[in-house]
Parts: sequence; structure tokens; C-alpha cells
Amino acid sequence: MRQHQTFNPKLRERTVAVVSAAGLLLLAACGAPTAGAPGGSGATSGEPIPICFSVAQTSNTALLGQDQVVGAKIAEKYFNDKGGVNGRPIKLFYEDTAGDENGAINAFQNCINKDKVVGIVGPTLSQQAFAADKIADAAKVPVLGPSNTAAGIPQIGEYVSRVSAPVAVVAPNAVREALKQNANIKNVAVAFAQNDAFSKSETGTFQKTVTETFKLNLVTVQTFQTTDTDFTTQATNLINSKPELIIISGLAADGGNLVKQLRELGYKGLMIGGNGFNTTQVFPVCQAQCDGLIIAQAYAPGLDSAINKDFIAGYDAEKKSKLPPQLTAQAFTAVQVFVDSLKAIDTKTKLSGMQLADIRTALNQQMLLGGKYDTPLGPISFDKEGEINQGKFYVAQVKMTSGTEGNFNIIGTY
Amino acid sequence: MVAMVLAATLALSLYLPLMSGQLSLATPGFYAIGGYVAAILSTKVIHVTGPYPIPLILGEMILAGAGCGVLAVLIGVPALRLRGVYLALATIAFVEIVRVLSLTVEFTGGAIGIFNIPQPFVTANGIEYLLIALPMLICAALFVYRLERIGVGRALVAIREDELAADAVGINPTRYKVLSFAMGAMLAGAVGALSAHFLNTWNARQGTFDASIAVLAFVLIGGSRSFVGPIVGAMVLTALPEGLRAVAGIGELPVWLATLLRDGRVIIYGLLIVICTLNFPQGLIAPRQPVRKAVKSS
Repeated sequence: MRQHQTFNPKLRERTVAVVSAAGLLLLAACGAPTAGAPGGSGATSGEPIPICFSVAQTSNTALLGQDQVVGAKIAEKYFNDKGGVNGRPIKLFYEDTAGDENGAINAFQNCINKDKVVGIVGPTLSQQAFAADKIADAAKVPVLGPSNTAAGIPQIGEYVSRVSAPVAVVAPNAVREALKQNANIKNVAVAFAQNDAFSKSETGTFQKTVTETFKLNLVTVQTFQTTDTDFTTQATNLINSKPELIIISGLAADGGNLVKQLRELGYKGLMIGGNGFNTTQVFPVCQAQCDGLIIAQAYAPGLDSAINKDFIAGYDAEKKSKLPPQLTAQAFTAVQVFVDSLKAIDTKTKLSGMQLADIRTALNQQMLLGGKYDTPLGPISFDKEGEINQGKFYVAQVKMTSGTEGNFNIIGTY
Repeated sequence: MVAMVLAATLALSLYLPLMSGQLSLATPGFYAIGGYVAAILSTKVIHVTGPYPIPLILGEMILAGAGCGVLAVLIGVPALRLRGVYLALATIAFVEIVRVLSLTVEFTGGAIGIFNIPQPFVTANGIEYLLIALPMLICAALFVYRLERIGVGRALVAIREDELAADAVGINPTRYKVLSFAMGAMLAGAVGALSAHFLNTWNARQGTFDASIAVLAFVLIGGSRSFVGPIVGAMVLTALPEGLRAVAGIGELPVWLATLLRDGRVIIYGLLIVICTLNFPQGLIAPRQPVRKAVKSS
């Protein structure tokens, strides 16, 4: 570790300069909340209503966050074109949480103290929600989780709700559909991505459904990592346990590869993919081998309703595709819930005459009243804790049309 | 603010083994273990209603620190036979083992981790955590400051400068290397315990290889030859992304500049790190002149 050092007389000067520059930055960081407050606490007529959309726009979680931002942008444009909140537009503040817990905490604090929003949509990951939601709850700012599916999220506090149905509700439907297609299923094998919180929760639900609800044999449980690419060991073990059904909880890239390698090694039976497979990104990964895969969905592009058609038209204009992913639909829905609730409050008492703190509380109470919202996910409402009651779930089966393109054909609605 | 202070203390914990020339990346491993100790104790073992008492947090921190210290001695004795990049590799392996274990073992909650960790304070922004974090940083800094000036510290520096020579004048390198490794681990464990409460949740994503590199960057950008360096480096690097975000939020800026600062802040952050590394190869806080002269003349 020895090295020769040459003394640079300018070094000290530079050090001082950099340290003082850093100090200035810090000052800016501390001073900004007062300088950057748009319009103070009062909301005057005609001024946009601020809502925070705080998801992961950077880091490796951004893959999910970008889908969500698209949904939010469609929603902002769509609802403002339709007259916003009884004539007043909404304005979304996009605060990047990055992929970690500290980032989510910082972003939420910006939403609450600097942007002075009436409510927050975010964050992307359940782990981030556990860290950041308590801050919004303590500040009495309503949070609506667009993609937090782990158990215990709405229970963080009174002001925490979500539009993403917990995996426990979505997953079992797929097993029911698989049994409809093959009543002789006795042995079920399970594989899940060990390092992914969503897959870990989901596989627990699947395993319980298999052994307790349907009394089937769970012959093996295999684990993999979302970063894996070679699944020979897991695929061989799965096939050797001679299952009639394989259930995989993973994300598009890893799960898709496992499906592909299972088929290549000669597995012929039924396969269920978890909610992580509910994206068109899985098609290029497993290609022709995706065919026949059964997937439980919280959102189905095929849903026949006016708002869903408008949403898909918006997505088509933005992304040139008619198959919006679930995350985009849920993000749209979250913004919609805020807009619809604000409309309902504004009809009773004019928002322009209310203090910011009162709007925040009223918004939260309005959502928890249990009223129905007609969204692209279908009709939804919230229970007293802020958990979503989603009217419809879907089970789809993949039908590949060409090499890397396919469709989710709905085979069951629940 | 709290994140800055915690990062600074964590950087100090990596600086300690570096004092004896050991490039150890094990800090996040001990940090993760410390966090799990606090998370498990406060959610599963101790049940209190109302705000969580601060003495209990301090107790958890001491316990986590002690546990990590013992573990560090056990690991350190064989691992510190390795040097330089090989030691770094071994400590990366340790961090990976901790990560995979916490994903696999049931009581750490797997990938979801442990959540709803009880809070000692009730207000929104968590600024009160400074009441614990700041004294901890000051104590740690004072400790290292004193350490550099007593026999043990000088022995560590001697090993860093030339291990053979140090051995020849009667310093037992293994003993002092393990000592500095264990001191770093204890500090990291205590920081982890406090962080678990601050973040309200703890999971396997806290102690990863990425975190190792981040902490190493704190030390290298700040300067690795004086205890002030890691503290400054950690504070600057933690505050920078948020500072850029705040600058972007100032109303009077033109739209394009605000957009660049907000959406491109990660790019700017990376650029600044590169510029710092090129212009200050010794770190922002370079060693003071007299020390350098003394080394040269000897």
C-alpha cells in the first residue's frame, strides 16, 4: 500500500474550494423547502392541484417505475382534458425514489414538505413502502400504493392504501383454471425467485393453495435468483419430481427463461406463471415456449369497459401498443382514485376554500368511505384499512402469434 | 440529514481496518447483521406499547456491536492472513454469505425482510434520530482521533506503511489487524441497529456488494489517510443527489436546467465523482503536510 506522493501546493486551496462548494450545496438542500414551495399552503381557484407521483425512475427498479410513469402521464393528460377536478387541473410532481429505502424516504419528504401535495402515489417496491409510508402517515398525507403487494402494507397506518391487490387474492385463481384444464393433476412442483420480495410472498400463497385449498401433493420446491440465467439444475429437479403442474413465481426475464428451459428439457405438462409474468416483456424471452402458460392477472387489457378503452387508447398514443402492462394500468388507476375522490370532496365543499391539511385528511376519508371507482382494473373500492376490494380478477393463457409476439387470452374471470 | 450522519459513521467503520492497511469490504455485512439484530429483537423478542424506549435502542446497538465484534474476531483471524485485493475478495464473499443467508433463513423474513420496526419518535421526518446518530458519530470520530495519536494507532499506521518493518520492531501484525477489523465491525453493527429503526424496515437489500462499493467510495472520495476524510466523503456523497434535487426545485431556474438537474442528477453525481477522483487522487481531505514530511525524511 506504499505510494509516493508529490505535494501539490494548490491542493489545499482546491480542497477548501470543494468543501465550501459542498457546503453551499448543503445549504441549498436545507433552504429549498421554503424557496421552492409552489403557492404556499393555500390552493386558489384555477391553480393546479398538486399530486405526487413518486416511483423508481432510476436504479435497477426503474424497469418497473418506467411502466408506472407512463400510466401516470396518460392519467394526468386524460383527466385534465376531461376537466380535471371540477374545472381545476391536476399537476403531478414526479419525485424519483430510486431503488432503495433511503431514496423513497427522501422522495416522500420532498412530496410532503416541498411540493406540498394533497396525496402521494408510490413507491414502487413493498420494501420501500415499509420505510417511506410511515413518514406520510405521520404527516397525515394519504399514500396510494400502485404496486405494493406484500402483506401488511395498508396496516402501516391510517393514511396508507393501495390499488394493487395482494398476491393472496390473485394467485389461487390460476390453480383453479389449471384444474379445469386437467382434472388429473395430483403432483405439483413449485419454483420461485428467492431474492424477490414479490415472488417470495406469491409462492407462499401458491403453496398454501396447492396443499390446503386443493389438497394436492407438493412434490418439490425449487429456488432461483432473479439474476440467474442458467436454470438446468432447477429444471432437471422439477422434471424429475414428475409433476403434472409447475408453478413459477419470478419476474419476466428469469421466469421466462425457466419456462423456456423446462420446455426444452421435455416438460409437456401445464405451467402457471405468477403475476410477474403479466407483461408482454416475457414473450421475447421464452418465445414459442411461452405458449399455453397460465397467468393470474390483476389487470386484463381485454376488459370491456369505457374507461379501459380510453386508457388503452391513451397507451396506444404514447407507446404504439394496445397491450398496456398491469403496472401502467395500476398507476393510472391510482391517479384516477385521487381525482375521483377530490371531485367528490369538491362537490360537497369547495377545495379552494380548504386548508391543505384538511384536504389531505378529507381525501383519505373519502377513499376509505367504501365508494366504488370504475377503473381500467374494473370496479374497485377500499375497505376501512385501505386495502383494495377489486371486483374482477382474470386468468389468462398465453397464445403466441409469431416468434416474439403473443396475446393473453382470458380463460376465466373471478 | 440522518442518512448523512449514519453514512459518515459507516464510512468510519471502513476507515478503521484501512488504518492498518486492510482493504476490507466487510462493513455492509456487519451493518446488515447489526440491523437484523435490532429488527428481530424489537419486533419479535421485546414487545412495548407506545413509543419505543431509547435506552432499548442503545442496548440493541451495544449488543449488535458486541456480536459483530466477536464475529469479526472469529472471521478476522483466518481472513486477515490474506492481503490487499485477496482480503477484499474474501470480505466480499462474507458480505454475499450474509446476504444469501438472510434470504434463505426463515427468521430474517427472506426477501421481504422484517417490517414495522417500532419507532421511538412520533413525528414525520425522523430528524430526532440525530439525537442518537450525531453523538454516535462524534464519539466514533473522537475515538478514532485519539486512536491515531496513541500507541495502538501508531502501531496500525506502522503496519499500513510497512508490515515487515512493523513486525521487526516488535508489533504483532495479526493482533493489531484483527483489532482494527473488529473495531470497524462493532461500529458497523451499531450503525446497522440504529438504521433498522430509522428505516422502519430491514431486508437483504441493505447489505450487498453495491453497498460495499458505496462505502468504499465514501472513504476514497473523502480521503483515506485521515478520519475526517471518510466523514466528509460520506456526507458529501449522501447529500449530493438530494442537493441536486433541491437545486432543481428552485422556482427561478429555466425549465431545461431544472429538468437536467432533476432527471440527470445521477449523471451529474457520477461526473462529479470522476472529476473528484481525477483532481483529488488523495481524497477531498488530503493528509496534512507535516505528516508527509516526517514520512519522507524517515
